[in-house]
Amino acid sequence: MRAPYRIGCDVGGTFTDVVCIGADGETLLAKAATTPDDQSRGVLDGLGVLAGMLGLPLPDLLAATERLVHGTTVATNALLERRTARIGLLTTEGHRDVIEMREGLKPERYDLRLPPPAPLVPRRLRLPLRERLRADGAVAVALDPASLEAAIAALRAEQVQGVAICLLHAWRDPSHEQAAGAAIAAALPGTYVTLSSDVLPQIKEFERFSTTVVNAAVGPIVAGYLGRLETRLAEAGLRAPLFVILSHGGVAPVAEAARLAAGTALSGPAGGVAAGLALARAGLGADLVTFDVGGTSTDVALISGGEAALGRGRMVGGERIALESLDIVTLGAGGGSLAHVGAGGMMRVGPRSAGAVPGPACYGAGGTEPAVTDANLVLGYLDPARFLGGRRVLDLAAAEAAVARLGATLGLGMLACAAGIHALANVAMADGIRVATVRRGVDPRGFCLLAFGGAAGLHASAVARDLGMRRVAVPLLAAGLSAWGMLQTDLRYEVARSLVGAAGLPEEPALRALFAELEASARARMAEWMDGEPAIRRSADLRYGEQVFEVGVPLDGVDWPAPGLPAALAEAFHARHEALFTYALRGEEVVLVTARVAAIGRLPSLPAPAQVAGEPAAPVATRRAFVAGALRDLPVFAFTELAPGQQVPGPAIVESDTTTVLLLPGDVAHLDARGWLEVAVEEG
Amino acid sequence: MPNATPDPVTLAVLENRFRAVVEEMGEALLRTATSQILNSSRDFSIALCDARARLVAQADHIPVHVGAMPFAAQAVLDAFPGQMRPGDTFLLNDPWHGGSHLPDLTIVLPVFDGPRRDSDPRPAAPDHRDGNVDPDLVFLCVVRAHQSDIGGATHGGYNPSATEIWQEGIRIPPIRLGEGDTLREDLVAMLALNTRIARDFRGDLMAMWGAARLGAKRLQALLASHGAATLAAATDAILDLAEAHARRIIGGWEDGTWQGVALLDDDGHGAEDIAIRATVTKRGDSLTVDLTDSDPQTLGFVNSSWPNTVSAVRMALAYLLDPEVAKNDGAFRPLTVLAREGTVVRAAPGAAVTLCTSHCSNEIVEAVVKALAAACPDRAMGGWGRRFRIAIQGEDPRRPGRRFVWHLFHARPGGGGHAQGDGWSGVGEWHSAGGLKFGSVEMAEARFPLFFRRHEFLPGSAGDGQFRGGLGGELELVVETSGPARANTAGDGARHGAAGMLGGQDGAPHRYTLIPRQGTPRDLRTKETGVQLAPGDVIHVRSGGGGGWGDPARREPAARAADAAEGVV
Repeated sequence: MRAPYRIGCDVGGTFTDVVCIGADGETLLAKAATTPDDQSRGVLDGLGVLAGMLGLPLPDLLAATERLVHGTTVATNALLERRTARIGLLTTEGHRDVIEMREGLKPERYDLRLPPPAPLVPRRLRLPLRERLRADGAVAVALDPASLEAAIAALRAEQVQGVAICLLHAWRDPSHEQAAGAAIAAALPGTYVTLSSDVLPQIKEFERFSTTVVNAAVGPIVAGYLGRLETRLAEAGLRAPLFVILSHGGVAPVAEAARLAAGTALSGPAGGVAAGLALARAGLGADLVTFDVGGTSTDVALISGGEAALGRGRMVGGERIALESLDIVTLGAGGGSLAHVGAGGMMRVGPRSAGAVPGPACYGAGGTEPAVTDANLVLGYLDPARFLGGRRVLDLAAAEAAVARLGATLGLGMLACAAGIHALANVAMADGIRVATVRRGVDPRGFCLLAFGGAAGLHASAVARDLGMRRVAVPLLAAGLSAWGMLQTDLRYEVARSLVGAAGLPEEPALRALFAELEASARARMAEWMDGEPAIRRSADLRYGEQVFEVGVPLDGVDWPAPGLPAALAEAFHARHEALFTYALRGEEVVLVTARVAAIGRLPSLPAPAQVAGEPAAPVATRRAFVAGALRDLPVFAFTELAPGQQVPGPAIVESDTTTVLLLPGDVAHLDARGWLEVAVEEG
Repeated sequence: MPNATPDPVTLAVLENRFRAVVEEMGEALLRTATSQILNSSRDFSIALCDARARLVAQADHIPVHVGAMPFAAQAVLDAFPGQMRPGDTFLLNDPWHGGSHLPDLTIVLPVFDGPRRDSDPRPAAPDHRDGNVDPDLVFLCVVRAHQSDIGGATHGGYNPSATEIWQEGIRIPPIRLGEGDTLREDLVAMLALNTRIARDFRGDLMAMWGAARLGAKRLQALLASHGAATLAAATDAILDLAEAHARRIIGGWEDGTWQGVALLDDDGHGAEDIAIRATVTKRGDSLTVDLTDSDPQTLGFVNSSWPNTVSAVRMALAYLLDPEVAKNDGAFRPLTVLAREGTVVRAAPGAAVTLCTSHCSNEIVEAVVKALAAACPDRAMGGWGRRFRIAIQGEDPRRPGRRFVWHLFHARPGGGGHAQGDGWSGVGEWHSAGGLKFGSVEMAEARFPLFFRRHEFLPGSAGDGQFRGGLGGELELVVETSGPARANTAGDGARHGAAGMLGGQDGAPHRYTLIPRQGTPRDLRTKETGVQLAPGDVIHVRSGGGGGWGDPARREPAARAADAAEGVV
């Protein structure tokens, strides 16, 4: 592999994946154990493993690295484990409970004994500021300095690490928030201060306040972590910039990730979607379902027409984050999901998981309940001696015992029970994909299922069959695809502004001025990050007069310089509404709620790996596995030995050190020279 | 033709599939509905019933709908014995013909085994087994949705003045709304003409029909892959498992007979302290809920239709069981509900009933929970809030010439405390249990001439207890219309708060006060029409808190200290 190197680094629940692409396009995957107490140690360990694979001292590797992109789960974990920073909230007097009211919604309709979630800021630290704007931005009550002084005194006494400032209608005029922010910065130096008018300057207070509070709650933690990582990397010899992948799938410098820490909540799975987009561009096809099966969960996202859908309805750890983020659906089914008999007497798989410790029974770390991985082992799909390239030897007897125990309670033999666990996991995944696609008005049948992550290859063919999908692709780099994907995405900066009050659409000059102002601010930010001209993408949230939900409408197809911009926007909305909901109301008033601009700074694209021609590979082994209701001897092919174009008919197993693909009878797989195994799935 | 129970895996697969089908139907309806009450407040429900009108699967939407939906399926079976054909669509809303109250429209779509014969409608072949059921009928997709208007004397469906059902809206018995996969335009036009917002009505009806057809399509695929016999056997087994699950839980409760009483404030026409009396007998793993001793039916619209009463009792049982129990026909088999016609819980045909999905549903649930608190104290919860709605109509000075109607969903009441902890604050009433959403204050101020001077939790509103209730809400709403405006109210609970349980105290009742810019403040009654408002008037809403659970003396000092620090008492 030739320098310079580009390195992507994805911190997962169990492993930290490091992918390196050399100047010649050669690609390497290194893995190290994740270090949950301080993820930066695992990152350095992974880089060390990579340096060893390259036969280089770590400082030499880092000195020859031109870009390092990082996906982190620090914010996600803090939210999921409720280990957030100690923060205060300054808010409009008379409205201090917005974040706890949650718009009156409670999850789990029939669980009236469900404990309410503890808010990220307790009520006593939700401090009122005497001030009030009206809906049109007019000042109803001027900011009262005495209430600000009192709030600062309370924050000082509580020694908060962060402060969120969330005032009603501040998206329209941020001056009260800015004045309060300046006063806190002066009085409490070193405190992480974040304003709702800065984080999400748009109407609807619950979304804006919740997102800003999340930002304050994870900001000090994310900023501290990234600061430590940057220091460690610099000490180890890195001179190139460190980028972080954000929830919207673009990357940004560390300072931006620290400012908008809530935007890193999907930093982990975003890399997988970025990889899907890159593979779509590389020729896999414009319509993909990304299917990332991990230990405890499965992440699903749609790539349609070569674009990944973005949404703003994200919940993480029960908290609403309304920033633009990839529309990733997380299902509670993965390799570690446990099978059991539910309270109602029905056989179930998940959502409980064996986690990393003790893990499935076959890990031999004390697990006694059967996990999906145990079933896959019992069924013969996995080689107990070669799991993770032999780094972990699986205990087949323990898996068999766990599966047999469950089978006995259901009156099922061991193999039938294992096959049942495998089938139920498939059903959970397929139903999750069905809801994720159909909910968005997409029929999955024309899509290709892009399977990656440790365990996806064992389920992909069955899941695709169930959904009527005819194509499955498993990249050679399946186990490190998220880290690879981080190297395939661009710089991205989002800015948005609401415009509500006046009925309908603004007049043309006002509309142009609104977008021009957003564009200028996006360009200015991008100019700080890179040289060169960014691409500008505009969109708008629009609705019909009496509707309550807006529809996000991409405006890329609008001829911007042409006169008649309001009419063009309206028509783009009608068309979008028609596509989504089967009808448009062209006589109805169209209302603009929020204008959005994204600046995208293209990073240099990376060379593709060289094609390797070779002889068709013969099976390397035979494995007895339970497929389609019977035990059969399946040929096992080494993924890395397949020749481009070589066809492998199912039933068969194709495996590498880090991933295993199960081909069912009727499937035909071939290796695509661009780096993935493509499976033509038999019609179910 | 008895079928062998499918193997556990097939059974679990089909159970997941049935649930996935109803969830997908719900998603489709949410995305396509046109009226705010459906696409924002989500006031709709989906059920899958089998050919005997047994509830097989439902998506978690509005609890008070769920136990009532099989009545709709049964009403269609009764009205069209052996006469349903593939491609038919049925519609109803009448409370004496399978409905609960008139604003809830219900579509029932039959699903048949075998290839579709659109061009060759089968003759009405009476079933040789019981003479009623088409042997090829397998499922009924049931879609129920609350309409923003259903005709009648007042806008929006709730008419506190009504003393008979004909004043409440258009009545629809089971009708064949469509055949051959097409809706009958003459019928749709007639119905639309009887509502005030025909466009919303048509849009929502299409969305409901689309959701039902989507469900039918998914079920056809399941029929093709598994066969009707397997699906029927799986349905039996799924229902039996839920029944066994529910019976196991009930069997663990103490045997005995107890009475629970809950009171409505009034009917708006002179009747006060209207009592719901539930005598609940628990023997072994069965329950009988006898409501016979409840007060006579009233003139005003708080009377309940029979399907709504049964649904309210089922809802109470569902709350007391584990949340994991599948809410299907099996889970409700241990339950017998008794009532006498002519009482407030089983009004005679022709009575006014529109408020019943709120009131007296909430009081029925509360009476049942109170009665069973002795049998299963750790499961009983303090009372959840009552509903007290206000609708304001007027004109916005920023939009001259355009009238608006605004519905109060803010300042929700609190949920009840329970053996595991304090109640949820501001999540609403028994009948929706946190399933209805209020909108953004910023958006409301931008779109309506209203100013939300205060919208917070209401300290001190919760019922005290070892575990206290959740807090109600406080709203100071300034009217900023361009001229006089009018309000209607519909609700209850201004005198009787959510019940405390097992020594816990009642939550505070609602208190809504009209503070005119000029003149004397007065408390609003829960059932008023034509309340005159002027710009500058303030409506001060103080909604009730949830009921407490257990003796307040046993509340942990740390919890009391936290309440004081948090400023909620």
